[in-house]
Amino acid sequence: MHAYWNPRHETMSRDDLEALQTRKLRNLLEWTTTRVPWQAERLATAGVDAADIRTLDDLRRVPFLTREQWMQSQLDDPPYGGVLAAPPEAAIRYHTTSGTTGKTPIRALDSAKDWEWIAEMWCYAFWGFGVRPSDIVFFAFSYGTFVGFWGAHYACEKLGCLVLPGGNMTTEARVHLIVDAGATVVCSTPTYALRMAQEAQKLGIDLASGPVERVVLSGEPAGSIPATKALIEQQWGAKAGDTAGMTELGTVVMFECSHQPGGMHLIEDHYIEEVIDTETDEPVGYGELGERVVTSFGRGFIPVLRYRTGDLVVRVPSTQCSCGRTFDIYDGGIRGRVDDMKVVRGTNVYPRAVEAIVREYDAVDEFQIHLFTVEGTRDEIEVLVELPVDGGKRDEVLDELARRLSEAHEGLRMPVREVPEGSLPRFELKAKRVKDEREVWGGSGERKAM
Amino acid sequence: MEHTSDLRAGERALVDCYERLAQVLREQRADLAPFEERNALKALAALWQVVNGLDLDPGQLYDLGV
Repeated sequence: MHAYWNPRHETMSRDDLEALQTRKLRNLLEWTTTRVPWQAERLATAGVDAADIRTLDDLRRVPFLTREQWMQSQLDDPPYGGVLAAPPEAAIRYHTTSGTTGKTPIRALDSAKDWEWIAEMWCYAFWGFGVRPSDIVFFAFSYGTFVGFWGAHYACEKLGCLVLPGGNMTTEARVHLIVDAGATVVCSTPTYALRMAQEAQKLGIDLASGPVERVVLSGEPAGSIPATKALIEQQWGAKAGDTAGMTELGTVVMFECSHQPGGMHLIEDHYIEEVIDTETDEPVGYGELGERVVTSFGRGFIPVLRYRTGDLVVRVPSTQCSCGRTFDIYDGGIRGRVDDMKVVRGTNVYPRAVEAIVREYDAVDEFQIHLFTVEGTRDEIEVLVELPVDGGKRDEVLDELARRLSEAHEGLRMPVREVPEGSLPRFELKAKRVKDEREVWGGSGERKAM
Repeated sequence: MEHTSDLRAGERALVDCYERLAQVLREQRADLAPFEERNALKALAALWQVVNGLDLDPGQLYDLGV
């Protein structure tokens, strides 16, 4: 049995890979310039011509594309903006971004060929994590306009797996179906994987002794937080593997292979991933934190060149993993978002870093990071937890958690407060565990100086 | 489409299928019944992935509605 979905590409030398990427980049630029006037104008302004692309370094001459530019184009030229390379009649499906940030979602169209490609990318991920035709795959997913696991569903059908579509079901019904149908693979967000495990406990079902062998995670950075992942693996008695993609690209971009190297391999024969310094826009080297910028070759309907994802990552060489792939790795997965950092009394707080500590305590069922203002001037932060454990242990966990959170944040006081069980919101898709109620006054976005 | 020399026989046959299928849809589409046309288009979308994954340049298919 093949270990790789596409052995030719997944194990090619870095030199051959760069040559492939350069050629595909030239084709993509030619296609974009010919078919997308909005993009052609941007490229012309920057003096970029497909014929001039000779090495991957030439990519840096291509202007960045931001979400704001994409959104503005959508507002100027509704409903899709100037991003389409083919007429809407050639599309077979409409999707949107999840909209969890509260912004207007980006709308996207794809053709039949694009959908085959979307599934193809997921096939790299599933195959790489060890999913095979004999598997029974359950999707804890609502199948709406958010693209989410749609491509993953089709990928599993392409692989020949038996697919269990878990849309429009309660958590209890999902747990029962997983057990009754003998699912061997479960696809879910990390948050919802824990939610289902909690539900199983209430129902008296021991998932760890059940048939599930793999949990494929996506949609939140938590899939690569070691403590969260360990908790999921313990509660499900299964291997947990992270994946990450985005609607702007239509599908998955990176995946954790079955060797679980502590990060995700980039699908480099279909994308070029750059990591840049968020302030200087200059590339950063292996091992340095930066923002990922992606160029996608596969989705011809909406060519994407140098899209600023806002994801923070640390790139390392493929040799960090022993699987034999030559695709580089984002160590630790998506480390956070450029825009999700909170500054509390001068200390940077990343929700992911808080979660990494909180999830080490399996007594915590759910949590929320609460920011608020005291006396109109002072920012405070607290962590609210649901802690369904016995009295003595409860105080111990609360005290220890507060101390560790403070130590991890330069001594910032971060009390941990217990709230009634079931009072915090639960999520199926992307969890929003930061509740920011600080008073913002003065100009737009301005905060009172301390 | 330029073929690379290191294709195995089975791979080369799949590339030939892709090219032949695209040609049929470009030149004889009007003769095809709906079931023939739509299934051929679906097959072409799948074969595009094979050619694309073989380090070849399969081009775009939007003119065919794929």
